[in-house]
Amino acid sequence: MVSKPDISVKFCGYEIENPFLLSSAPPTCTGEMIQRAFKAGWGGAVTKTIKPDKTPVYDLKNRFGRMGIEDKQLVLFENIEEVSKRPVGTWVKEIKEIKKAFPDKLLVGSLMAEPKEDDWEDLARVISEAGVDMLELNFGCPHGMPERGMGAFCGQRPELIDSLTKAAKRGSTVPVMVKLTPNVTDIAYMAKTAEKAGADATSAINTVLGLIGVNIDTFEPMPSVDGKSTFGGMSGPGVKPIGMRCVAQIAQATNIPVSGIGGISTWKDAVEYLLIGAANVQVCTAVMWRGYRIVGDLVDGLTNYLSDKGFKSVNEIIGKTLPRLTSWSKLDKDWKVVANIDKDKCIKCGVCYIGCYDGGYQAIKFEPNTGKAAEVDEEKCDACSLCYLSCPVPGCITWKRVQQK
Amino acid sequence: MSGRTHPPILPPQVRIKTFEPYAENLDDRMALYEASRCITCYEPPCKEACPTHIDIPEFIHRIKSGNYYGAAKVIRQSNIFGGECAYVCPVERLCEEKCVRNSLKDEPVAISLLQRFAFEKERKKGIIKFEKAPPKKKKVAVVGAGPAGLSAAYELARKGYKVTVFDSNPKAGGLMLYGILPWKASWEVAESEIKNILDYGIEFVPNKKVSDLKALLKEYGAVFIGAGTSKSAKLGIEGEDLKGVYPAQDFLYDVAKHLQKKGKAPDLKGKRVAIIGGGDTAIDASMASLRLGAERVYIIYRRSLAEMPAVPYGRKQAKEEGVEFLLLSSPVRIHGKNGAVAAIECVKMALGEPDQSGRRAVTPIKGSEFKMDIDVVIVAVGQKPDQEALKSFGLKLKNGLIETDNKFATSIKGVFAGGDVVNGGETVVKATAEGKLAAESIDQFLKGGSK
Repeated sequence: MVSKPDISVKFCGYEIENPFLLSSAPPTCTGEMIQRAFKAGWGGAVTKTIKPDKTPVYDLKNRFGRMGIEDKQLVLFENIEEVSKRPVGTWVKEIKEIKKAFPDKLLVGSLMAEPKEDDWEDLARVISEAGVDMLELNFGCPHGMPERGMGAFCGQRPELIDSLTKAAKRGSTVPVMVKLTPNVTDIAYMAKTAEKAGADATSAINTVLGLIGVNIDTFEPMPSVDGKSTFGGMSGPGVKPIGMRCVAQIAQATNIPVSGIGGISTWKDAVEYLLIGAANVQVCTAVMWRGYRIVGDLVDGLTNYLSDKGFKSVNEIIGKTLPRLTSWSKLDKDWKVVANIDKDKCIKCGVCYIGCYDGGYQAIKFEPNTGKAAEVDEEKCDACSLCYLSCPVPGCITWKRVQQK
Repeated sequence: MSGRTHPPILPPQVRIKTFEPYAENLDDRMALYEASRCITCYEPPCKEACPTHIDIPEFIHRIKSGNYYGAAKVIRQSNIFGGECAYVCPVERLCEEKCVRNSLKDEPVAISLLQRFAFEKERKKGIIKFEKAPPKKKKVAVVGAGPAGLSAAYELARKGYKVTVFDSNPKAGGLMLYGILPWKASWEVAESEIKNILDYGIEFVPNKKVSDLKALLKEYGAVFIGAGTSKSAKLGIEGEDLKGVYPAQDFLYDVAKHLQKKGKAPDLKGKRVAIIGGGDTAIDASMASLRLGAERVYIIYRRSLAEMPAVPYGRKQAKEEGVEFLLLSSPVRIHGKNGAVAAIECVKMALGEPDQSGRRAVTPIKGSEFKMDIDVVIVAVGQKPDQEALKSFGLKLKNGLIETDNKFATSIKGVFAGGDVVNGGETVVKATAEGKLAAESIDQFLKGGSK
């Protein structure tokens, strides 16, 4: 019998049974919820962000938005929710209960406080002593909190990343991870700042600041709170490319592990994050949409993938694609291919033709209603890949290597 | 890939109790889903297959974007009977047959359902009006207010001509009101589109049978004839003149008049009805017979199901409702008793090789004759124009139809013709397309251009 690939990962001195963690968000609102998630099979969880009791927090009604396609297929999710309203004491009690019931799962306490070093140090001490395995410093929340000097307000200021990381490290008895915001010019610089300040790991990305939409009947921005709104945090499948870019940049720039977050809904998304260097992945939106149960397929899909590819451990794929990510200048300008259309597979829809004609190089010949397949003019084809991407037939358009001139 | 949307249909035992429509339309959600199945091909075969060449990907794209009125506009620009056609077109042998999705081992996009959706949105808001050219002095007469005549009248009115439409029926609409029964398309659909057309300043003269074209040409610069095919072809067998034998066209006309409370349909309660023929008209007659209370309804067709011209959708509906198909059977004699139908005698047929038209020939099998007790026979083996009316026109005919050149001009200068009276009986959409093209020729003629 072939042995099953090992999907356990190491992270800041801990071994986690699988690389799937719940991120700091509504699915980790209470101890009871986290325990249910652990029972469902999640390898770890980051609590919803805990703040000092003196810091007021509000939940707006309502606070979510959605951008989808067709029916309910989610593209982007928006929230303008704040951090946990629950008192520190409640969390301390529940952290103990979770760790007692699930000692082997990775429990991370997420923290946020006003940019005062003492507050961060105190909160880090209390929560780490409650029994969490790690702390995550929330320097990323882009809505609500920054207006009061918290969240992304800190993550956008290197000097605060530095001083507050150091403060948390002083108070903490466990490893500290810094959660970064993508709403900056250079996230790698912020990651390096955290590394220099003593962070044991980073996590990225927090949500991307955006505006999910406007109701064109009522003119209300969404999500509407009595007719008005504010900019909010985007998550879900649409932010995955941003998340992947940030995680890859951080992985290239730092020597501490990075936990990958942003638009992970399936095991395939997770594999992509692992390939570009994420030490593990965190998931929220997909769980909000379909529940903790999605971890079943995440674990099984990853295991089957590794087995099909002949890997013995998930560690073999972590960072495997990273060396292939380089600068534009270093890409081979002499590499030449042209598109090739399979005559037998072509359904004569003309989609490739019209795209190439109006948005490309006029390199496809097509005569509608003649029964003839579309054909590439290899002299004109510049291999931009528009036809390859828009063709509705799998495997109909492929690449043909041509000799360099 | 995601499959086609199938909106609910009333069960057969419920729907045969009335003549009302029984298939639901797409709601907004289903329409968005179905529209998303369209690949939005470039100059696709579906558009080519539509006789009026509706820009199908464009209107579907507009449904997807939520621009329903814009979708309806795309349809109406090409086809002034876009609503009626959405309900009655045999799409299985037109646009949907050519849908590129068929080559992806998938069902075609439900083009007709999306077209109905766009039309119903339009109807609610008011049918889209297009601009009209400044009035011209010249006048055009249109004989026959069916889809061909009204389509021609509309195009000419928009070009500024003063148009008068004559019809022998009290209402304009032709077979749309006097041949197509409401379960296929509610008459309100056609009526809304007919009103829209007449509102372009067209004069309608009801209950008027035109026979003297010369007299018309004295008053009008040109005449368009869209007289349709109101008569049924005959079987030419013994007993066809017995009481209880109905030509299908007359039968459907009587049912329509009955439903409009302007006439009487045959009483079929508890009767055994045999319909002869395999076209869409035979299917319509069979379903109408069930709705009139017939106890048993048979469709007797001389070829097999594969050769049957009726669209599969209609055949399926009829079969579900209890219509029995007697295939490879051909009537040879209708037996009577006291002057009324008592039985039908048929012979079994054998399929042979395909003929020039591609349809397989059939030959009777000797000694295979069988007899069935029957009360009513409906003959649906083809349609033709009213021959007497055609003769009175004094036009050159061909095979009992008006002969025209490729610009719809007849043998008399200034007289044009199109639709069923020329093509022998096709579809509403084909008639609409021909009326539109004939209007172009009439415009050229009246402008003194080449005929």
